[in-house]
Amino acid sequence: MSPPGSAGAEAPLIEVSDFEVQFRARRKLARAVDGVSLNWRRGEILGVVGESGCGKSTLARAMLGLQPTAAGTLALDGEPVEGKARLPELRRKVQMIFQDPYQTLNPRQRVRTIVTEPLLVQRVPAGEHEGRVNTALGEVGIDPARFADRYPHQLSGGQRQRVAIAAALVIEPDGLICDEPVSMLDTSVRAQILNVLVELQRSRNLALIFITHDLSLAWSLCDRIAVMYLGRVVEEGTAVDVIERPQHPYTQALVTAIPVPEAGGGGGERELLEGELPDATAIPTGCRFHPRCPRRFAPCDSVDPGLLPVGAEGQTAACLLHDPEHGSDA
Amino acid sequence: MSALIEVSDLRVTYGAQPIVDGVDLTIERGEALGLAGESGCGKTTTALALMKLLPASLKQSGEIVLHPPKSDEPINVHKRTEAGMRMIRWRHISLIFQGAMNSLDPVQRVDAQIAEAIRLHAMGGGSEAVQARIDELLATVGLTSALGHRYPHELSGGQRQRVMIALALACSPSLVIADEPTTALDVVMQAQVLRLLERLREELGLALILISHDLGVLAETCDRIAIMYAGRIVESGPVGAVFDDPQHPYTRRLLDSLPVIGGERGVAPPILGQPPDPGDPPGGCAFHPRCPYAKERCSAEQPDLRQLAPRHQSACHFAPWSEWPTVETSVVGIDTAVAGEEGP
Repeated sequence: MSPPGSAGAEAPLIEVSDFEVQFRARRKLARAVDGVSLNWRRGEILGVVGESGCGKSTLARAMLGLQPTAAGTLALDGEPVEGKARLPELRRKVQMIFQDPYQTLNPRQRVRTIVTEPLLVQRVPAGEHEGRVNTALGEVGIDPARFADRYPHQLSGGQRQRVAIAAALVIEPDGLICDEPVSMLDTSVRAQILNVLVELQRSRNLALIFITHDLSLAWSLCDRIAVMYLGRVVEEGTAVDVIERPQHPYTQALVTAIPVPEAGGGGGERELLEGELPDATAIPTGCRFHPRCPRRFAPCDSVDPGLLPVGAEGQTAACLLHDPEHGSDA
Repeated sequence: MSALIEVSDLRVTYGAQPIVDGVDLTIERGEALGLAGESGCGKTTTALALMKLLPASLKQSGEIVLHPPKSDEPINVHKRTEAGMRMIRWRHISLIFQGAMNSLDPVQRVDAQIAEAIRLHAMGGGSEAVQARIDELLATVGLTSALGHRYPHELSGGQRQRVMIALALACSPSLVIADEPTTALDVVMQAQVLRLLERLREELGLALILISHDLGVLAETCDRIAIMYAGRIVESGPVGAVFDDPQHPYTRRLLDSLPVIGGERGVAPPILGQPPDPGDPPGGCAFHPRCPYAKERCSAEQPDLRQLAPRHQSACHFAPWSEWPTVETSVVGIDTAVAGEEGP
């Protein structure tokens, strides 16, 4: 086992404030991301966790300008990104990989072509292409001599994800957003890919965002974790604080639901969250979590809590139980 | 306890390639067995073979004997014809497929789909009896009758998965095989479905074969666990014994790769390489090219599954392992991490 990377104290690579992303669905408005503020520091591994539909992937797409925002601001290295002027710079500095590399790699292109393409887009002089492609492939553990002329279908799932990482890496970004990068891979291959990513974080001081529904994975890898529920961050802090000492009832419920790889598991007596994530077109009033919350009390259906300092240093949770005006401190 | 189903020397081949390579299994009445392993290890194929649902391109052999609790007559499943299997499927053994929640008929209401399963496989009865049974089944899986009138797209993923479980229970089977029943679900929904399966086992006395690559899921739900690798069972035993004292290097490495909250953080050293290609299996123990403890004998001689303790078996030449020697962890370096990973 190796300790995860640690973040420096410089200006955040990306800072989003009050981000909102909305979709229109059958005349209803879905508030997929509903007021998210987040700092992603250089060299940091940030986990974004939550159930499917919580808005974590939409948030990531919006951070890359792949999804129009309804409100909010984004700063890259401390400077605001507005309109399209700085999008090329944003996408040179931040890249993204997805869950299913089979769907993101062009099946009719060879590995070399796939990894070269970002260099063409970024207008890197042709003379540098071969060297940079070979370096990127080498860094993800793909031998260019053996694999560069293959097509994606001639690769295993793990190798395809490595190629996707190489294509993201070849333009030497400062940050890489990984959307469920290993959730389709088998246990043994999963560990290989995670090792590649953590090694890159270390050797290049690459900042990583891990979007995952796997809380134990996020706990083991990330420096910090943001827990999302229905378009909002409801708890944030260091990975150890958030997962081992969660302060928001939703995080507590998520942690309780993790299957434990020990005989008898977490025990059958634990309290499980009932119901399902509501639709983003019908966000409950007050605290959005209150209809499912085992600890709700009087003000929860009318007061929408913001993130408040709780528990450990730097840990925040959006729960009225921690608001001196309403709840007693939990 | 008495055996519900006994499987001996189950083999499935695709041409000359062994997909399942001699599996022996016994499941007691009401017991939950977890079948674990990575993709391609043969766990789904084993499940399909128990119901003789394999495609024609796969040939199966071996004995499958079912002892239905409802009668004294054992049923030789392996001798049944396709027509004869219809009396077994759903009535004795039913299957919840992987990704099944997406395999409901999108243009039929949920209750009509359950009615069809009841009429096709059970005695039928009047429409009132069928409706009563539908309501009962929906209630069993925690859904209201009103939900039965909906179309699948009007249900959430968790609700669809519950409908699939209701379908599997329609004809009161004594064994349910669930293939990755929670893989597509979020952690909260997964916990709800697993708890439902546990409750059904208790209330209905169901035996369960739970297939999953997620050892955490199996630990929570099962009595016994069998780890498959390259078409064979490499270790099996009570969940406690296997998790606390694994006796096969593959099991041991799989367990090591799982983060346990509160333990040590960081990425575990990976298991090198990839599961073997069934068309070109390595000689000897199938795991030897990836095994950090492999010795000469491992590449030459295929180990049998041996009894180590009551009900605890391992197919490793060097079992029992009382302690695990420290292995080189230089494998963290990415260059070596891929050295063994071959393309197909």
